[in-house]
Amino acid sequence: MFKLIFIKELKEIIQSSRFTISFAVCSVLIILSFFMGAQNYLASQAQYEAAVQENRKQIAANTEWIMVNHSIMLPPQPLMALVNGISNDIGRNIEMSGRGELRADNTRFNDEPIFAVFRFMDLEFIFGIVLSLFAIIFAYDAINGEKVGGTLKLCFANSVSRASFIGGKLAGSFVGLSIALLIPMLIGCTLLPVLGVQLTSDEWIRLGIILASGLAYFGLFLALAIGISAMTNRPSNSFLIGLVFWIFAVLIVPRASVLISGRMIDVPNVDDITSQKNRYRTQLFEEDRPKMSSFKPEGTDPQNVMQQFSSYMRELSSKRQEKIDAFTERINEDYENKRREQEKLALNLSRVSPASVFTLASTELAGTSLKLQNRFMDSATDYQNVYGNFMQEKTGENQGGGFRMIMITTDDQEEPEYLDPNEMPRFEYKPVSASMATASSMTDLGLLILFNLLFFGGAFAAFLKYDLR
Amino acid sequence: MDDQHNETIKQAPLLEARNLTKVYEDGVKALDNLQLKVHPGEIFAMLGGNGAGKTTTINIFLDFIQPTSGNAFINGVDVNKDPLEAKKNVAFVSENVQLYPNFTAIQNVDFFVRLGGKSNYKRNDYEAALLRVGLQREAFDKKLKDFSKGMRQKCGIAIAILKDAPAILLDEPTSGLDPKAGKEFTRLVGELRDEGKAILMSTHDIFRAKEIADHVGILNAGVLVAQKTYNELKGVNLENLYVEYMAGYMEEATGSLINSLAE
Amino acid sequence: MLSLLIQKELKNILLSPKFAATFLVCSVLILISIFIGINEYENAVRQFEANQQIAQQDIAQASSWGQVRNIAHREPTPMQIFVSGIHFDVGRLSGISSFDDVKLVRSPYSDETLFAIFRVIDFAFIVQIVLSLFAILFTYDAINGERENGTLKLAFANSVSRVNYLFAKFAGIWLGLIIPLLIPILIGLLLLLVFKVPVGADEWMSISGLIGLSVLYVTFFIGIGILVSALTRKSSLSFLLLLVIWIGSVLILPRMGVMAAGQIVPTESIAQLEAKQEAFQKARWDQYSAELSDIWRSREAEMEGMDENERRAYRDDKEWEWLEKDDVLRKKVQSDIIENNRTLMEESRNRKKVQEKLAFNIARLSPVSSFRLAAMNLAGTDIDLKNRYEQSMRIYKDDFTQFVEKKQEEDGGHGGFRISVDSESGVQLDFGRNDQTLDTSDMPRYSAPKTSLQTSIASSIPDFGLLGLFILLAFGGSFIAFLRYDMR
Repeated sequence: MFKLIFIKELKEIIQSSRFTISFAVCSVLIILSFFMGAQNYLASQAQYEAAVQENRKQIAANTEWIMVNHSIMLPPQPLMALVNGISNDIGRNIEMSGRGELRADNTRFNDEPIFAVFRFMDLEFIFGIVLSLFAIIFAYDAINGEKVGGTLKLCFANSVSRASFIGGKLAGSFVGLSIALLIPMLIGCTLLPVLGVQLTSDEWIRLGIILASGLAYFGLFLALAIGISAMTNRPSNSFLIGLVFWIFAVLIVPRASVLISGRMIDVPNVDDITSQKNRYRTQLFEEDRPKMSSFKPEGTDPQNVMQQFSSYMRELSSKRQEKIDAFTERINEDYENKRREQEKLALNLSRVSPASVFTLASTELAGTSLKLQNRFMDSATDYQNVYGNFMQEKTGENQGGGFRMIMITTDDQEEPEYLDPNEMPRFEYKPVSASMATASSMTDLGLLILFNLLFFGGAFAAFLKYDLR
Repeated sequence: MDDQHNETIKQAPLLEARNLTKVYEDGVKALDNLQLKVHPGEIFAMLGGNGAGKTTTINIFLDFIQPTSGNAFINGVDVNKDPLEAKKNVAFVSENVQLYPNFTAIQNVDFFVRLGGKSNYKRNDYEAALLRVGLQREAFDKKLKDFSKGMRQKCGIAIAILKDAPAILLDEPTSGLDPKAGKEFTRLVGELRDEGKAILMSTHDIFRAKEIADHVGILNAGVLVAQKTYNELKGVNLENLYVEYMAGYMEEATGSLINSLAE
Repeated sequence: MLSLLIQKELKNILLSPKFAATFLVCSVLILISIFIGINEYENAVRQFEANQQIAQQDIAQASSWGQVRNIAHREPTPMQIFVSGIHFDVGRLSGISSFDDVKLVRSPYSDETLFAIFRVIDFAFIVQIVLSLFAILFTYDAINGERENGTLKLAFANSVSRVNYLFAKFAGIWLGLIIPLLIPILIGLLLLLVFKVPVGADEWMSISGLIGLSVLYVTFFIGIGILVSALTRKSSLSFLLLLVIWIGSVLILPRMGVMAAGQIVPTESIAQLEAKQEAFQKARWDQYSAELSDIWRSREAEMEGMDENERRAYRDDKEWEWLEKDDVLRKKVQSDIIENNRTLMEESRNRKKVQEKLAFNIARLSPVSSFRLAAMNLAGTDIDLKNRYEQSMRIYKDDFTQFVEKKQEEDGGHGGFRISVDSESGVQLDFGRNDQTLDTSDMPRYSAPKTSLQTSIASSIPDFGLLGLFILLAFGGSFIAFLRYDMR
């Protein structure tokens, strides 16, 4: 019996014009978002390569390592283009220095505000907003439509149990629509290598889980719509209720939770913190002034004196830097803790809505969640050590944060030797691995499953009590 | 004809309502201690105006609603206790047969017949049944959304025929059909009766009821106010009888009478 | 006759459960968005003021003008409550110094990434997404629904003209949707007064423009809804078609336009631009030091054959001349670098302008883009926001550096410290003066660029026009479709 209803449901879906139209639209959208994601990735990859090239050219134009201005960039990742997350909102460039605090600048949207006007069309957007709406459109009259149409009575004039009917209905519509969505997804996936976007096996796994969670998210809205239609008598009412739920889940809850957590946990003003650091730095410098003035060189040979002065200043500077580092760490820690607390509260509140659960899961898997910023900064800090050591080796001092003295003697007219940028250690950004991403998105994946169970169960229970007349 | 009827009456009833009472949540009493029996090879016609309780009775037999008290039995099985078992033995044609609009006639019939537990039919069987009910062959593979009411009704009766259940429930099956289609329908119901089905039908249509019913029951406000057999009806002016028992429903009765005449 | 029809239409809307639900949702959404907007704005103002103060203190505590780190901040505008536009995406501040070019950094989103995940919801967003959806919900069965019910036949069994009927339909639905829409908006405006948001006459004008724009936008969707309903026989089909149109025009076309333009006109990233600028800068300084050593060598040559005392005398005599020459050379380097930076920037910006223009023109295929662009223009949170600020900050930077130079000349200081090495007198360190505070009273202050109401209205007029055109098309189309409608 279940099988019969299941198959009928599949057939009915496939033969309806509603399915044909929405399937066409969904397919176009999904394929388009893969296409645009790929193009977007290639474009940012080209920009990235060009910027790296410029940076190397600029290094190669130098004759002294100490003169080098090196900046590192967050390399674009294919999954970043498919699930944007916050990747367009965080700084992508860090001016490297061997010591001191690093700062990332140049967000994509700040660089190219044109993309901020309408934003990108990524998979998260397509699933989170468009497909969830389509799920409601598909299923808002699943039950009450049959009642209004009269087929419900005719079905139940036979010895059909409610359980097998609703079971067949839920399974049939979910399987039918999922398969329909899988087709454009697979086309989209094959499109990536065709367009020249190569994914590692790790990225394929993550993409696979993202798509699977997208389907689960779609299924949850489908079950919800079926559930609502099993609680109402008129399709127009169930659509309206579904729509209101959608508006709240997709548009209101996530934003409201951020707002509420912002209200509940006060995070200190970033600019205030920056200025405190600056002020501390200035203050330390002022304190060192008398020491600097009291510098007494031995001998009078300018070359020698400068060398002495330089090392004297370096020593002062590195002492200052130590203090600054300690100060920065303390003040940052407090700020970061508050901020993390606020984030945690906001995300937990927002998890009431399946839409934000999906957003969190997919961005986590794509490596574009809030953690992206930390990961980039961590990679940069790791690199900072390597870079500092390299500079130490090349120039005899670890620059950054403090005093930098450059001596150019113009007397010897040897042809200057230009630097080889290949000597510079390369910055490696460590993207999330599939296992890490899965581990950290476990909660949200679990919640997605829970929501599914809840809504499928709810639809099931609602139908058991449904008035069939 | 008479002999045949007398014979069948002796068998156990296929459809039976025992002390059926239904009070809705809003306090309206739709059925009051209804008793009725339909034996194999019998047509029981329930007559009555709107709100008399005809559809409520059918809904109880189909387990769409639960009786407040009393029991409905199909082939001896209490519908309320084991609806799935009970419904194996019943087919249903509603007042306005609605099928899946995106399915073709054959697809619809296939689905509903399988749902009725008959899975060994071939397309030939469906075609035969649809031809028997008078559907044009060209319509077999057309989607239902383009069907007229008469065509849908034919599909409905074909489904009931193919399910081959011993009992059939007909809810105002001829309302809104043109006289030709109505007559055709009546003929089909007669044939099914002759095949030994127990048929419970509700109707407004006095003439049609008189034409084929073996028993006529007149319902008024949930009470079976009169019950006559075919033999008892011989020579009786059913309209008078109806009007007599339907004092409160005069207007509607004449209304439907005019309707059926107009058709 | 007409008023009867309009009344019926109004009643039909106002009495439907659909209306109660949508009205409630709209009101909640609009009020929440304005409330959140006011909150965000107040936060931004608080932060802005605090930052001004911090910057002031930082300057006052600097020991010399050369050490002053001046920062110019972008000022929040109350209009961002309604249309946040690119406010959250563009940097909030820029350092102002003679060494670095002006560059807005630290966008609100990059500072508070938490807000970036879900983004803010503003009035324009609600109108754009939710109200258009509701307009469709109210119109998809305007004509074919009545046909299905049979009421269309019944109505036209009387002597009713089709034009009148359709006009009444428009008028009724329009009134039934727009008036309830205005109620929460007006309450929202009251919120502005209650929270004492400083809204000037210009802003009120912009807000009314924005409301007018929203009404036009909703009107378009009413028009398109009736059009599709008059073109189809079944309401289920028109509903689906309209949703497809909605998704296409609201969600897809605008994004596609931008993406397509990005493909057609590639631009370079800031990182690339900066690397180029830096490369030039370095090359220029190298050239300078080469020039300088040549000069010194020629100066040495001039002194060829002089003895120690003659040399000293000659040097003392020429010192000022030489210093000035060197200074001119150095200044030339600086101005060359600035010149080059600006040219590169200009080139990059021009390419971006081309890209933007193309992107927006493609996007304008959808009236939704027109709405959004016009709304952002009215609110002053449009794509030009960044350029406007950077330009005005550049002007300020020039003022400020001039001021600092003047101050430094007055004080005779130069900031930092000076080391002079002389083979005769050895090494001398000069750490400049060390006052505790600087007098900042006559320092030029940065003030935000003001866009006049005229310019913002002028720049949004094409989009208003386009929207009007789309409405005319939709309405005209539905009249034609309905005149030919098969009533059966």
